[in-house]
Amino acid sequence: MRALVVYCHPVAGSFNAAVRDVVTEGLHQAGVEFRLCDLYPRGFQPALTEAELTGYLDEPQNRAPVQQDVEDLLWCDTLIFVYPTWWYGLPAMLKGWLDRVMVQGVAFLMPDGANKDIRRGLTHITRLGVFTTCGASWILTQLMGAPGKRTLTRGLRSILAARCRTVFMAHYLMDSSTPASRSAHLERVRAKLARFIG
Amino acid sequence: MPRALVLFAHPCPESFSAALHSTVVETLRRKGWEVDDCDLNAEGFSPVLTEADRRAYHDEPDNISPVQGYVERLRAADAMVMVFPVWNFGYPAILKGFLDRVFLPGVSFKLVEGKVKPNLTHIRKLAAVTTYGGTRMRAFMAGDPPRKCVTRAVWHVCRPDKMRYLALYDMNRADDAKRAGFLSRVADEMKAF
Repeated sequence: MRALVVYCHPVAGSFNAAVRDVVTEGLHQAGVEFRLCDLYPRGFQPALTEAELTGYLDEPQNRAPVQQDVEDLLWCDTLIFVYPTWWYGLPAMLKGWLDRVMVQGVAFLMPDGANKDIRRGLTHITRLGVFTTCGASWILTQLMGAPGKRTLTRGLRSILAARCRTVFMAHYLMDSSTPASRSAHLERVRAKLARFIG
Repeated sequence: MPRALVLFAHPCPESFSAALHSTVVETLRRKGWEVDDCDLNAEGFSPVLTEADRRAYHDEPDNISPVQGYVERLRAADAMVMVFPVWNFGYPAILKGFLDRVFLPGVSFKLVEGKVKPNLTHIRKLAAVTTYGGTRMRAFMAGDPPRKCVTRAVWHVCRPDKMRYLALYDMNRADDAKRAGFLSRVADEMKAF
């Protein structure tokens, strides 16, 4: 098992950093090989540029601007995201990671004469883990249609292995969280991760 | 004169999104709107919420200083039209970053006793003009997150009288006729906006 952990939060001591640490410790203790992709310290540039978009369909040159990320994606069989939910969705930097790294020929295959829709490209990824925090309540998030969760657990999942094992966990109402609610959440993350990789 | 903020998020001037953007801006102007045409890529908008931004996020009104100009443009708007391609079941990052950085507490919403209260209620009309590479069924199966981002999350802070979500699905296989049909539908909707 090889896990790629994609982490996205601007503040070093944030609760998301604690979640990330629980995840990476859990992987380490289980003897799982993992790579951590920490987007903020890299200064990852999230906007897909005109040049990149113009070359979007040209394989394999389209991998060049995000070579390491593509290698990590091809290397792993487990993909784990840790990030805060902002505006019911992914932070722009993480959204941009998808926009720039999920290139044609790696992440998906374009429709052709025989295929009417996009086809999966990441069929070697058989596990998807999503660990996030939400300022909003669970009920408000559901009323909004949980677009962030769906972007990953349905949208992205649709280009991973067909029966990809998926786990989603969120700490809701972060702005009124307490030390007790946060540590309880970390415990739940620990337990969930153990089952997820078990 | 009513004022419309047009948020555009595609980097290529020859793209179909750019054609939709021109149609929106020109049609609104012809119908007497004062259009604030905000091309996020051309303006070099930085979508990244920085550590300093995050730390000051809840400090009203100081939180707006890094994006003061954009906040003023948003506050001056009577209508907002978002023109963007759907990528990976969501907004392009540059447009998502506009929400992250400009839709701040005290700007787009007020937190009152932990509850979100709409604060962009001067935006009486809201529209999105978008394209999906995949089919409508494919988007539906994923819960169509970008549609919900606009018609629920952005709607929630504006509570507009009128909302339109204009989408062309299956762009990967769309022919000229289908694209032209969508352009004329967008023009009609903007005329009646």
